[in-house]
Amino acid sequence: MALTRTTSGERWRIRPDGPDKVTGKLAYLTDMYQEGMLIGRVLRSPHPHAGIVSIRTDKAKRIPGVHAVITHADVPGMNRFGIVNPDQPVLCEDRVRYIGDAIAAVAAETQEIAALALESIEVEYVLLPVVDDPAFAQTKQAPRLHPGGNVLHRNQYGHGEVGKGFAKCKHIVEESYSTPRQMHTYMETEGGLFIPEDGGRLTVYSPTQHGYKDRMQLARILGLPEFNIRVVSSPIGGSFGGKDELNVQPYGALLALVTGKPVKIHNSRYESVRAGLKRHPMKIKMRTGVDENGRIMAHQVHIVADTGAYATLGAEVLNFAIEHVTGPYTYESVEVEGVSVYTNNGVSGEFRGFGGNQAIFALEGQMDRLAEKLGMDPWEFRLANMRKPEDPGPLGQTIVRTDGAMRTWESLARSPIWLRRHDRRTSEPWIRRGTGAAIAMHGSGLGFGIPDPAGGMLALAEDGKIEAIFGYEEFGQGLIATLELMLIEQFGFGAEDVRIVIGDTDLVPHSGSSTASRATSMMWKSLQKLRGPFLDRMLNEASKLLSQPADNLRIGRGGIWDKSGEHLLLTYALLARNISEEIRFQTHFPFPVSPTKRVGAHYLYTYAAVAVEVEVNVLTGRVKVLKQFHAIAAGPVMNPQGFLGQIEGGSGMAVGFALTEDSLMERGAYLTRNLDTYLIPSYADLNGEIEVHAIEELPEDDDHGPRGVGEIGSVCIAPAISEAVFQATGKRVNKLPIDPELLQETPDFLAKAVDGI
Amino acid sequence: MASGYEDKIMSPSVWHPRDTTEAWTFKKLLDSDAIYVAGGTLLRTQWESGLAAVPKHLIDLSSIPGLTGIEKKEDSLAIGALTTLGQCRKDPDVLQHSPLLVEAVRSIAASSVRNLATIGGNIVSRVGDSLPVFIVCQAEFEWNTGLSPMTEDASEWVERLQVQLPKASHLLTRVHLPLFRETDLVPKRFGAFHKVGRREAFTPSLVTVAINGGMKPDGKIADIRIAVGGGQTIPHRLVAVEKILKGQIPNRELLGEAYHAVMNGYRPKSDPFATDDYRKKTAANLIITEIWKTYSEWADGGREPDGAY
Repeated sequence: MALTRTTSGERWRIRPDGPDKVTGKLAYLTDMYQEGMLIGRVLRSPHPHAGIVSIRTDKAKRIPGVHAVITHADVPGMNRFGIVNPDQPVLCEDRVRYIGDAIAAVAAETQEIAALALESIEVEYVLLPVVDDPAFAQTKQAPRLHPGGNVLHRNQYGHGEVGKGFAKCKHIVEESYSTPRQMHTYMETEGGLFIPEDGGRLTVYSPTQHGYKDRMQLARILGLPEFNIRVVSSPIGGSFGGKDELNVQPYGALLALVTGKPVKIHNSRYESVRAGLKRHPMKIKMRTGVDENGRIMAHQVHIVADTGAYATLGAEVLNFAIEHVTGPYTYESVEVEGVSVYTNNGVSGEFRGFGGNQAIFALEGQMDRLAEKLGMDPWEFRLANMRKPEDPGPLGQTIVRTDGAMRTWESLARSPIWLRRHDRRTSEPWIRRGTGAAIAMHGSGLGFGIPDPAGGMLALAEDGKIEAIFGYEEFGQGLIATLELMLIEQFGFGAEDVRIVIGDTDLVPHSGSSTASRATSMMWKSLQKLRGPFLDRMLNEASKLLSQPADNLRIGRGGIWDKSGEHLLLTYALLARNISEEIRFQTHFPFPVSPTKRVGAHYLYTYAAVAVEVEVNVLTGRVKVLKQFHAIAAGPVMNPQGFLGQIEGGSGMAVGFALTEDSLMERGAYLTRNLDTYLIPSYADLNGEIEVHAIEELPEDDDHGPRGVGEIGSVCIAPAISEAVFQATGKRVNKLPIDPELLQETPDFLAKAVDGI
Repeated sequence: MASGYEDKIMSPSVWHPRDTTEAWTFKKLLDSDAIYVAGGTLLRTQWESGLAAVPKHLIDLSSIPGLTGIEKKEDSLAIGALTTLGQCRKDPDVLQHSPLLVEAVRSIAASSVRNLATIGGNIVSRVGDSLPVFIVCQAEFEWNTGLSPMTEDASEWVERLQVQLPKASHLLTRVHLPLFRETDLVPKRFGAFHKVGRREAFTPSLVTVAINGGMKPDGKIADIRIAVGGGQTIPHRLVAVEKILKGQIPNRELLGEAYHAVMNGYRPKSDPFATDDYRKKTAANLIITEIWKTYSEWADGGREPDGAY
């Protein structure tokens, strides 16, 4: 079904957090303020690679208005962070590995004094050779950036023998694909307010995608028990993976504890660019061959990911890329290997799509090139090699039976964009039009072998509100709206009956992270589990109070109604006041995983098939995306507006990935230091029509319900645009963002006059 | 607070001159410690990025009366230097008489910036996207030099910029933008403005081109001015290209010659965001295509020139 405001009917609702956001009324965590608070700033390395000879803070400490200057010597606990692999110094001891590395932090009474204090810290460096190329980093000549060497992680997958497979091939396509260092570019830069509380507790108001994980990491750094720290992590002004790892929290927390005063830190855009995570640039070499019937006989892949100075989730991103370079196809033989390499190029980490975007750009590029060699329609070629519903997953693992690939394929094949793909008419001879398409399967959840807890809580609060309590965060994706709609539709409550409690470790249960397209799935599943016990208990309590059998009662808007729904018998407020014992139910369960023991392998997948129509102006080489069609198979749509928002938003980011975005670096330093040179798409770049078809049906035996769609909208756009550009210009793209120079032509009317001169 | 630190954390003083002469006097007195500020939109980005230090003194020009607004004269528009880009874009006279300027202004930054940024600021930045239009339209810039007002042709001004920085105390007060009319001798006027950036809007320019020309009844180009800029390139005329085209009827060969003259004549300033070759090809493609379009329209008008396709 085409998902629109109209087709959604009453399910299209104004999101509860919407009005305050668009009017600017909402105070984000980084807008918070407290009387007497200090301003925190971090001194970061100006060098991408250097040894630290000495750090002298005396001058800075003497400045009136400076309350604290801290270095590594002031970190009471573990001076390292990293969600899985804590290898990043909170404050560097003897070496810096990227231009954002932190050396000292100050707390001062004003911004200006804090800035002056930073300038007054004397650090003596000895410069070390910069490792800015992942290929060089793997050589013996390269300086070792970490004790274990420059390889963060290596992994592989394979089945069959590619040597034999290639021998059977009629056509072989070999290509090397490169992808950019994309930046998350959330509107709200990293920051927070850190407040020391009575009893030695600390409250951290700072955006993150997993409050409990931040709490665990901060406890480790501060040498405090976890329960001494409260992390309030929502609402967030955008994250996209970029605030999943710790950023300013260690400094704010340390400074607050050292000074005993509230401390606020809020990164400028410059500091955010310099210190923050980016998408892993990858070089993916692929060699893929087909026999004369168009069956893929062999697929050989080599991935090199530039993970930058520290690990964060670099290993997991590489695993995800390895899993997604094969996609929804079957192969006679596959050989994939990948390596994630340390360099002095900033820090790469988690980002919407999580390594899938790079993998799928390369894989789908191969599919289009092979189809061309075979003289086949590229969409038919994909069908000929498509996985069957009962086939194992891309890593040979058992997965939930799924026909998403076929369903999205069919939907796209019938789409208006695809049906008119041969119409190339344009207004001017130097404008060329083309249509391209891509398909992908994308895993959700963290994957096998990685703790991936889920759960939630329902309670009837003292004031009669139904509280839905989850450890997730709202960062714009529409989680609050989705949860509210689930409670209305699945429980029969009114919007005004419910209160949503999220993003506060003092109040919420462990629900796992708001990442990996998992939150919607896990909220749905939690509510499924809680619904029966919670409603039964409510009705039983009501039955006692009303002296009526529970069978005669029903849950409804505002309270307990008679079975017919004509009379409101008991408001939730009255029920809450008169119950004998608190009504509160909690559930805990892990995200479903494959029985196949392969670390990172996924069990649940979503599917997307995307077609785009582009125009290329060959005078300038610039590409304009005109229209997009997305078929998404992700189970039932929980919140149409949120679903559409995620697909459109993900697509917008992917247009940037394909056409404009790259954090350019030179010798480990960013050349694109602000949003005047790092260009995300503007409205004018994204004003083309986007049609989204949601395929909601799941196979009968699939009881996993809705899947998250936070990432799936962003993974097919780049390959689809690349193919559309090829159709328009005859030129193959293997590097993103697309370089307009590649597409430039001398106008036809001049060709003869200009040729050969 | 102890002494020694105040200096480093003080905000700049802001001066509000009552007229241009007072502004000029402030500047003369404070010299390199002061800077003129109009909208401040570009300066702000330079301060933030560390490209320029925040000076000790800001001379706020927005308090000076009489420097804003657009006045239609007999043969020109007089545009006050403090007129915002937003006002320029919506001004009825500019809309009617200078589509090139409208197009150029539309391509600069975004509306929130255009509401603050001034046309004068765009010009004195030396790389503003309005400059190529002023160059090809033979605009005159009127300056307060402290003594008597001085006017200078836009293209002469940018030519001078190629060799030396302008006097920092000179204060741009007004732009005189001549209006071009179609006449019996030159019945067709043509012009174009293109800005190519790395995205569709609110983008720094890689290549900016402006063309202003006239065609005689016989299809010969009566007059033509072409200017190119983009990025940190100070816009300049392509005199050699103008020479090739002037007095000629554009045909394939001539356009080819002009194409190469653009490639050779355009001197873009390098940056990491596009190669010089890309900029040159883009400028050549856009300029030559505009001439070709003009010529084709003329040819389609039923008149068959010699040496046509």
